[in-house]
Amino acid sequence: MLRIVLWRLAFAVPLLLAVTAAMFALAANSPFDPVRQYLGDRAMVTSPEVVARIRAEWGLDRPLLEQYATWLGNLSSGQLGESHSFNRPVLDVILERLPWTLLATGCAIVLMLAGSLVVGTLAAWRKGSALDRIITGGALANESAPVFWLALAAIYVFAVTLRWLPAGGLTDAGSTTLDPLDVAAHMVLPVTVLAISQSSWLVLYVRESVIATLREDFVLGARSRGLRERTVVVRHALRAALLPFLTLLGARVPELVTGAILVETVFSWPGVASATVQAALSVDFPLLAVLTLLGTLAVVAGNLLADLAYRIADPRTAS
Amino acid sequence: MLSRLWPAALVAVLALTACSAPSTAPAADDAFVIAISSEFETLDPVKGYAPDGGSMMFDGLMTRSADLTLRPALATAPPVVSADGLSAVFTLRQGVRFHDGRPLTAKDVAYTYTSVKGSPIGGDYEAIDTVTAKDDHTVEFRLKHAYAPLTQRTTLGIVPEGGFPAGKPIGTGPYTFVSWTPGDKVVMTANKDYWGGAPAIGRVVVAFAADDNVRATRLAAGEFDATILPPKAAARFENQRGLKVYKVDSADYRGIMWPFKQKVTGDVAIRKAMSLAIDRQAMVDTILAGAGKPAYGPVSPDTVWHNPSVTGRTDPEAARKLLDEAGHKPGPDGIRASFTLMYPAGDSLRKELSLAVASDAKKIGIDVKLAGLDWDAIEPRMARDALMMGYGSPYDPDYVNFELFHSKFAGQGFFNPGHYDNPKVDAALEKGRASTDQAVRRQAYQDFQQLVHDDEAWTYLAFLKHVYVIRGDYQGVTPSVDAHEHATGGLFRDLHTWKPAA
Amino acid sequence: MRTAAFVLVALGLAVLLVPPIFQLDQQLVDLRAAGLPPSPAHPLGTDEVGRDVLLRCVYGLRVSFLVGLVAALVSMVIGGTLGLAAGSAGGLVDRLLMRVVDGFSSLPHLLLGIFIVAMFAPSPVAVVVSVGITHWTSAARIVRSEVLSLRGRPFVEAAISGGASRSRVIYRHLLPHLVPHLLLAMVLMVPHAIWHETALSFLGLGLPPHLASLGNMINDGQRSLLAGNWWSSLAPGLFILAPTLAVSVLSQRWRDRLNPRMRSELAL
Repeated sequence: MLRIVLWRLAFAVPLLLAVTAAMFALAANSPFDPVRQYLGDRAMVTSPEVVARIRAEWGLDRPLLEQYATWLGNLSSGQLGESHSFNRPVLDVILERLPWTLLATGCAIVLMLAGSLVVGTLAAWRKGSALDRIITGGALANESAPVFWLALAAIYVFAVTLRWLPAGGLTDAGSTTLDPLDVAAHMVLPVTVLAISQSSWLVLYVRESVIATLREDFVLGARSRGLRERTVVVRHALRAALLPFLTLLGARVPELVTGAILVETVFSWPGVASATVQAALSVDFPLLAVLTLLGTLAVVAGNLLADLAYRIADPRTAS
Repeated sequence: MLSRLWPAALVAVLALTACSAPSTAPAADDAFVIAISSEFETLDPVKGYAPDGGSMMFDGLMTRSADLTLRPALATAPPVVSADGLSAVFTLRQGVRFHDGRPLTAKDVAYTYTSVKGSPIGGDYEAIDTVTAKDDHTVEFRLKHAYAPLTQRTTLGIVPEGGFPAGKPIGTGPYTFVSWTPGDKVVMTANKDYWGGAPAIGRVVVAFAADDNVRATRLAAGEFDATILPPKAAARFENQRGLKVYKVDSADYRGIMWPFKQKVTGDVAIRKAMSLAIDRQAMVDTILAGAGKPAYGPVSPDTVWHNPSVTGRTDPEAARKLLDEAGHKPGPDGIRASFTLMYPAGDSLRKELSLAVASDAKKIGIDVKLAGLDWDAIEPRMARDALMMGYGSPYDPDYVNFELFHSKFAGQGFFNPGHYDNPKVDAALEKGRASTDQAVRRQAYQDFQQLVHDDEAWTYLAFLKHVYVIRGDYQGVTPSVDAHEHATGGLFRDLHTWKPAA
Repeated sequence: MRTAAFVLVALGLAVLLVPPIFQLDQQLVDLRAAGLPPSPAHPLGTDEVGRDVLLRCVYGLRVSFLVGLVAALVSMVIGGTLGLAAGSAGGLVDRLLMRVVDGFSSLPHLLLGIFIVAMFAPSPVAVVVSVGITHWTSAARIVRSEVLSLRGRPFVEAAISGGASRSRVIYRHLLPHLVPHLLLAMVLMVPHAIWHETALSFLGLGLPPHLASLGNMINDGQRSLLAGNWWSSLAPGLFILAPTLAVSVLSQRWRDRLNPRMRSELAL
C-alpha cells in the first residue's frame, strides 16, 4: 500500500514541476503586461513613471530564469504572491474559497453517486422498457449538453419563472452571518446541476454492469433459490457491479474540475473554480498559476485514491 | 444506503466551513444592502479609493452638492487662494474625530495628499508641489503651476497620519468600517458621533455581484435594497410596487477615438461622414433601452460647461455626398474606404455599439472591421486603429480632457492615443487650466468644444443614464450628474442623509 | 440511429449551403428589430441587437465546427506522431513517452485551456492551440497500441527481418493501417473540441465576441434570459447538443458493428 502511495507521489513531483515550468514559459511569452492588467481602467490616468516603478517593485525587469527560480522558491515556501484581480494574497483567496468548492463538489459527488446508482439500477432492472429508454436516452443527451447551458436552463426555470430557489451567490446578501439553511438553499441549484452533468457516464456504467451481473451464475442461482427480485438486484447484482466503481470515480476528477469551473461561474458560487475564470479574464498570473497547480494536485490525488480504493476493494491485486 | 449519508455529510461540511468563514457582527435585518458590479480594489483613499467622493467612510476637505457645486466638509470654507494661484490655504473644522477617536489635524491632510501622489491616481495630483500643516487646523497647498481645478481635487477622503492597518479603514465619515469579506461584501455601521449628524440608515452593506442578471434577480428577491443595472435589466422593475427606478444623467460617454496619423481615419471627411451616418437615437432607444441621450462632444449637456452649438444629426445622404466630394468614390463592391474599430472584448455595451456603428457605416459604403480585443492588445494599436472608448467627468472640464486632447500627451498610453494635435486646442486647454477667472475659463472650454467638434476629433455616440433601482421609499435621494466611474459615488454618495419615508 | 444520421446530414447541409445563399454580414445588426420572439419571419426570434437567431446558429455551428475540426487535426498530428514514435521505438523511449501521455491526460483540460487562452488573449488561434494540445493523448494511446499489435503481425515482422529500414516499415506498413483508426478517433474528437470551444467562448475566453459562435451566443443570451428572452440561449444550446448526440449515437453503433461481441446494451 505504502509503495503505491510513494510511487504515485514520485510521479507527481516531476509532473508538477513540468506544469510550473510550462506555465511560467507561457506567461513569459505572453503579450500581456501584468502592470497594465493590475491598473485596469486606472491605467488611463497613470503616468509612465508610476508604471515603471511598479514594474521594478514586482521584479519584472530581472532575467526570466531568475524570476522563475524566485517564483518557484516562493511557491515551495508557501509564499504564493499577491492576486491582482482580488487585490489580496493568493493564499487568502484560496483558503477562503477552497472550502466552498469542496462543499459544493463534495455534495455533488454524493448526490451523483446516489442518484446514478438508483437510476442506473432501475434502468437495468427494467431493461428494454420505456423507462430504460428514457433513462439511457436522457443520459446520452445530458452527456452532449453543455453544462453551462443546463445551468442557465435551471436558473430560468427555478429562479426566474418559478422563483423557488435563488439564482446565485452563497447567502442572501443582507445577512452578515452564515446561516446553514440559507447556504443550503443557495447550494441546491449548483450542486444538482453539477451532479446531473457528471452523472451520465455513471448511470450508463451502473446499468451495464448490473445487467452483466444479473446474467452471471451466482445471481441466477440466487434467483432460482426463489429470492425476491429486489433482493437479487440490490444484494447481489449491485454489489458486484460496485467493485470497480470507485476506481472509475477517481479517474473522473478532471471532468469534475471542468464541471466545477463552469457551474461555479454561472451560479456566482464563491469557490476556487470560479476564481479561475476571474483570474484568467484579468490575466492574474499568480492566482491562475496556483489554481492550475491546485487542479493538477486534485487530479493526482484522485488517481491515488482510485488506486488505493481498487486495491482495498479487490484483495487479489494487493500483491 | 449512500443517499442516507448525504444530509449528514452536508451538515458536517457546512459546520466545518462555517467555522472557517469569518463570522461578523449580529445579523442585521435593518441593513441597507447596495449591490455593485465590481469589488473595490482598495478602501484606502491614498491608494485610489473614491477620490471624487462617495466613500461613505471618509470625508474630503470639500464635498459636492447635488448641483455639483463644492461646499466645505472637513474644511470650514473654500480655500484662500493667492493671487498667483500657486498657494491655497484651508482651515479645518474643529472637533472632528476619526473613528478610532483621534482628532483630525492638518497633519492628517498633509499626510493624505503626500501619500496619494505615489498611488496609481497620483497623476491627478501632479500639480501639487507640497502640502504642509501650518498649525493644527491650517494646511497649505503649494502648487507647481496655477491649477484652477485644485478645489475640485480636494474631495479626496482624508486618512489619519500614518495611514491605518491594511484592511481596517479609519476615516472621519458618516459610516465606520465593520468588515470586508473579499469577493462578497463590505459592511459598515453608522457613525453615531458624525460631525454632520448621525445617519438615519444604521447599517450599510455593499455587496459585490459582477453579473447583471444576478444583481437583478437578487434585487427582485428582496436580498438587495439598491443596485445599479444596465437599462435593459432594470426595465422590468419600472412601475413595480415598492421599487423605485432612478435614471440619472451622467457625463459618462461612449465614443470613437480616431487615430489621426492614418490615411482613412486621419481624413476629416471620413470622420464627419461617419458622424452623419450614425443613428445615435436608435442606439439610445435599443442598446441603452432609452436610458441615455445622443452625444456630440466630450462635455455633458447636463453640466454648466456644455457648449450648446456642438450638435449634429443623422443624414446618410449628406454623408455620401461629403464622401463623394472628398474623392472617396465607391469601388466595384460598393466600398469607399475601410478601417478597423477595436472594442474591449469583455464589454457588451461597447460591443453592441461597435456593431451598430459598423452597420451604419456599411450604409454609406464604409467598411468597418471589428476587433474585439483585450486592453493589452488594444493599447499598442491605438495609434493605428479606431477604438470604442468611454469616459467623462461632470466635475471640471479640465478633468481627462486635458490629457485626452493636449498634443503634449500624444501617444502616451491612454492619454491622447490618436495623436490629436491642434495648437488652438492646446491653448484653450492651457488657458482653462491656469486661469482663476470663471468667465475666462468658460470661454476657453466653449472654444475647446467647438474646435474638437470641427475637427471631429472623436465621434461621440451617447451619454449614458445610470440606472439605479431602490427598494422602499426614502427621503433625501438627490440625483446628480454621475461620472464615468461611480461605484458608491453617484446616487449613493450622500446615503447618510437619506431617511426612510414615514 | 436513422434520426441521428438525418440530423447530422441536415446540419451538415445547412452549414455548407446557408452561408453562400444568405451571404450574411456577421456585423450587420438591425436595432429596430431587436429582441423579437420566434415568428414566421424569424423562426427562432432575434437577439438583443436584432440579428436572426436561427441564421446565427447556423453560422455559429459552422465556426465551431471549423475550429473543432482544425483543433482535432492538430491533436491527431501531435498524438499520432508521439504514439507512432512510442510504439515503434519501444523500450525506454516508449515508457518515457507513455509517462508523459499519462501525466498530460491526467490534467484537467479546460483548466489548461483557460490558462493558455488567458496568457495569449482570446483568438481563434489560441482556442485551436489550447484544444489541440490538451486533447492529443487519446490519439497517442490509440496509435501506440495499434502499432504494438501490428508489430507482432507476420507481414511487419517479415518486413523487419527482411532488412527494411525503420522509416520504411513505418511509412509503408504501419501508416496505412493506422489511418482508419486515426480517422475514427478524429471524428470522435470533433464534438469534444466543439464543446471545448463553446465553453471557452461562454466564459469570455474564446472567439471574439461579435463573431457568431455557439458559445458566444449562449453568453449573449444569458444576459437577456432574465428579461424573458429564452430563445436566444435555448437555440444555440440545441445546436451544440444535436450534432454531439448524433455523433455519439452513430459511433456507438459503429463500434458495435466492428466488434459485435462487445455489443453494448444500449436500448436506443
